[in-house]
Amino acid sequence: MNAPPRNDRRNALPQDGGVKLFRVMWVGWCVAAVIGCAPSPGAFPPNRIFAKRLELTDDIDLGKGLAESQVLLAELFGTPDQPRWPAMVSELTPGRSGDAAASRRGDTSSPEPLVRLENLRRAAGAVRSDEQGVHWGLYRANCVQCHGVAGDGLGPAAALLNPYPRDFRMGKFKWKRTPLGRRPTRDDLRRVLLRGVPGTAMPSFANLDADDIEALVDYTIYLSIRGEFERRLLSLAAQEVDWQGGEHLYDPAWLPSEGMAAQAWPAQWRDLMEELANIVAQWQAAEELPIDVPHPDFPLVERTPSDDAGQLSETGGIEQQIIASIAHGGELFRGTVASCSFCHGDDATGTGQQNNYDEWTRDWTVLAGLNPGDTEALRPMLELGALKPRPILPRNLTWGIFRGGDTPEDLYLRIAHGVEGTPMPAAPLQPGNPQGLRQEEVWDLIRFLLSLSDRPADPRPGSPGGGT
Amino acid sequence: MSDSRNEEQGCPQFSKLTHGLAVGLTVVVFPLIWVGGLVTTYDAGMAVPDWPTTYGWNMFAYPASTWLFGPFDLMVEHSHRLLASLSGMIAIGLVVAAWKLDRRPWFRWWAVGLLLLVIAQGVLGGVRVLLDERLVAKIHGCVGPAFFALAAATGVLTSRWWFAPAAGMEGAGRRVGKAVAIVVSGLCALSYLQLVLGAQLRHITGWMSHRSFRGLVHAHLAMAGLLLMGVLVAAIMVWWKPTIPRVRRWVMGLCLLVVLQIVLGCATWVVNYALPWSELNKTLAGYTIQAKGFVESLVVTAHMATGSLIVAFAAVASVRAWRFRWVVKQGRVQ
Ligand code: HEC
Ligand code: HEC
Repeated sequence: MNAPPRNDRRNALPQDGGVKLFRVMWVGWCVAAVIGCAPSPGAFPPNRIFAKRLELTDDIDLGKGLAESQVLLAELFGTPDQPRWPAMVSELTPGRSGDAAASRRGDTSSPEPLVRLENLRRAAGAVRSDEQGVHWGLYRANCVQCHGVAGDGLGPAAALLNPYPRDFRMGKFKWKRTPLGRRPTRDDLRRVLLRGVPGTAMPSFANLDADDIEALVDYTIYLSIRGEFERRLLSLAAQEVDWQGGEHLYDPAWLPSEGMAAQAWPAQWRDLMEELANIVAQWQAAEELPIDVPHPDFPLVERTPSDDAGQLSETGGIEQQIIASIAHGGELFRGTVASCSFCHGDDATGTGQQNNYDEWTRDWTVLAGLNPGDTEALRPMLELGALKPRPILPRNLTWGIFRGGDTPEDLYLRIAHGVEGTPMPAAPLQPGNPQGLRQEEVWDLIRFLLSLSDRPADPRPGSPGGGT
Repeated sequence: MSDSRNEEQGCPQFSKLTHGLAVGLTVVVFPLIWVGGLVTTYDAGMAVPDWPTTYGWNMFAYPASTWLFGPFDLMVEHSHRLLASLSGMIAIGLVVAAWKLDRRPWFRWWAVGLLLLVIAQGVLGGVRVLLDERLVAKIHGCVGPAFFALAAATGVLTSRWWFAPAAGMEGAGRRVGKAVAIVVSGLCALSYLQLVLGAQLRHITGWMSHRSFRGLVHAHLAMAGLLLMGVLVAAIMVWWKPTIPRVRRWVMGLCLLVVLQIVLGCATWVVNYALPWSELNKTLAGYTIQAKGFVESLVVTAHMATGSLIVAFAAVASVRAWRFRWVVKQGRVQ
């Protein structure tokens, strides 16, 4: 071939394929740069929704209070990149700091702190890991997309999930073993992280290292205490501080110098720290609550036919007992004392009461004097980022799927304690309530629930429902 | 013209080596994209804090005992770096081959451009590590698939077919309608945009508002619908009109990939965020997401890799379609 003809050059230019691709790529880059390029400010987003609620109910302007609360919070708790732990409050929680737990372990010298600063540092900040496989930035790697930077449950994905992710800032948690109104224990949080919550977006983090889980538990408690204290501060700002009279919620001048004894603290600082200490004490108290679940008098479920025949004769009488127990459980379920069917429906498929809202929603709707069903009235809240209220539905119990764990112990506690933050009540129990259910009747209810699905109770040795 | 016959027989411009390198590059970049996806899935991007060194070592001398049997994140990130250097080396080979063996001046520069792009991509990856900047991570994640598509297109540019696209087609009445070519290149552009949208969803930070995220999800879904329609239209067009097999085959492949991708996309949502209607059925109600679980990571990474594959298929199909039309317009075949 001789010199390429002029024509060939033009022909060869990949006008249509290549150039187009390049162009598309550039457009793509510009799009990438414009959307999703949100700034990452170094501070926790303030609880504007709660502040708005106070403004609505108390008819005041909380601008100053909000600003001062954030200064104090940053002083005590640091930032999402650099967390702090207000260790000084332990001076105000006398004889606590979890030392009951420590003494149970026979270790009285160094009381177990509620939260360790090293753990907070592991969980906070940007995502990275090192040659030894130690991970940092655990919260941003694993949780922030749902629970949000401040643990407000307003992460980017939140609006598309049902149920919505937990807002840690009210100190309320559903899947715990402590009674209504009490904080969960560390172990409760750890179990939720390891187990996940089936049927919701809350994953199981069982694939994470054990110390990563501990760091995340600490960070959850940290965000929760920080968020509760923030709410407390805003309430103080709305109800206690005389702004007209020149008072402040917080003035940096009150900050005591390093190492100053609690007795020497300025009075205002001391008051604030006592508020915080009360919140911390609730978490510490949770660790000391006894959790005892009575054993049922006889097994929860019949033995399966695969059991060796030798034992069948022995369980023959029990079979009758179980059948009677299930029948009684069904009556209780539909009866007026337990009134389970009022919400869960006569057939337990969850067809009862449909128009309730959970506490996390009621907090900024009903308690702010707004009707959760009235989108127009809610507009100011929605503009601040609140999620559109959704009624909380009673569960369909016929599938044998339990979000709070499916051991007999879990089920017993669910019925005895209810589900915090939801309409699901604690069943009235004897002896506390003379008209209430007897312990064995709770097991009747559980046998009935288990009979609805063909799923046998977890017969782990040592668990109350496990066969003998 | 008589040289169409010539090209068909002798094909003097075709170089096996150049073509081999282009195809090899494509073949190496695909797993590279998988591993790159794993890096994001496992948040392993920052498992090695320095670049281009690895914990102070020359990347190639970094002892295998440390990374291959070390922490998983480190293994993923380091193998990503090694595979990436391999593709860089192939790209260098391609430039050399183009300048020595290929007589098309534009192609020589194309090869140079490809090399520059792979270098830029490497630097972007490095900058992503050094600055730990999500925006850079996003751009790095978007350039990868673009490079993959360009590498695949290079495979066509260097193929025997490129030099004689109409060979053996005379009299068969086969052609490529302009509409087909336009639809296919439109699909290429849209699928790339879709991929960019997907990267936004994947690289979210806690500071994005839930409104923006929802907007992105809806855009991604709408685009998926559009792509599905587009690909079905293209499939119908090439099926009913006498289209050359080289285009038809890629369009049909594209069609299958898009359907697969939609399934993978739904699965990706479920393994990340669960469905908001868990009471819909018992399996969903009982499903617990396993964070960093094997199946979960596989699904997410497959969704991402299939996205790249779709762009590459569309790129190949459009390059072929336009090339064929061009040659026909030149009057080389009737
Ligand atoms: C994909 C979204 C998602 C991610 C990621 C996620 N969560 Fe959750 N989380 C949820 C949802 C949804 C709930 C509410 C479940 C419910 O109401 O039953 C929840 C609930 C919780 C609860 C409350 C459980 C209770 O007893 O009330 C805790 C604590 C929690 N998450 C911690 C975490 C931590 C720590 C991480 C990161 C390691 C994390 N979550 C990651 C969605 C998520
Ligand atoms: C006032 C309404 C109401 C009543 C009465 C009620 N429940 Fe519930 N129940 C709920 C709601 C709402 C939920 C869902 C809670 C959630 O998922 O956040 C629920 C959830 C449950 C669960 C699922 C717990 C889990 O781990 O997933 C069980 C089991 C249950 N209820 C049993 C009962 C039993 C037994 C009774 C009667 C003693 C009862 N409920 C009475 C509203 C009610």
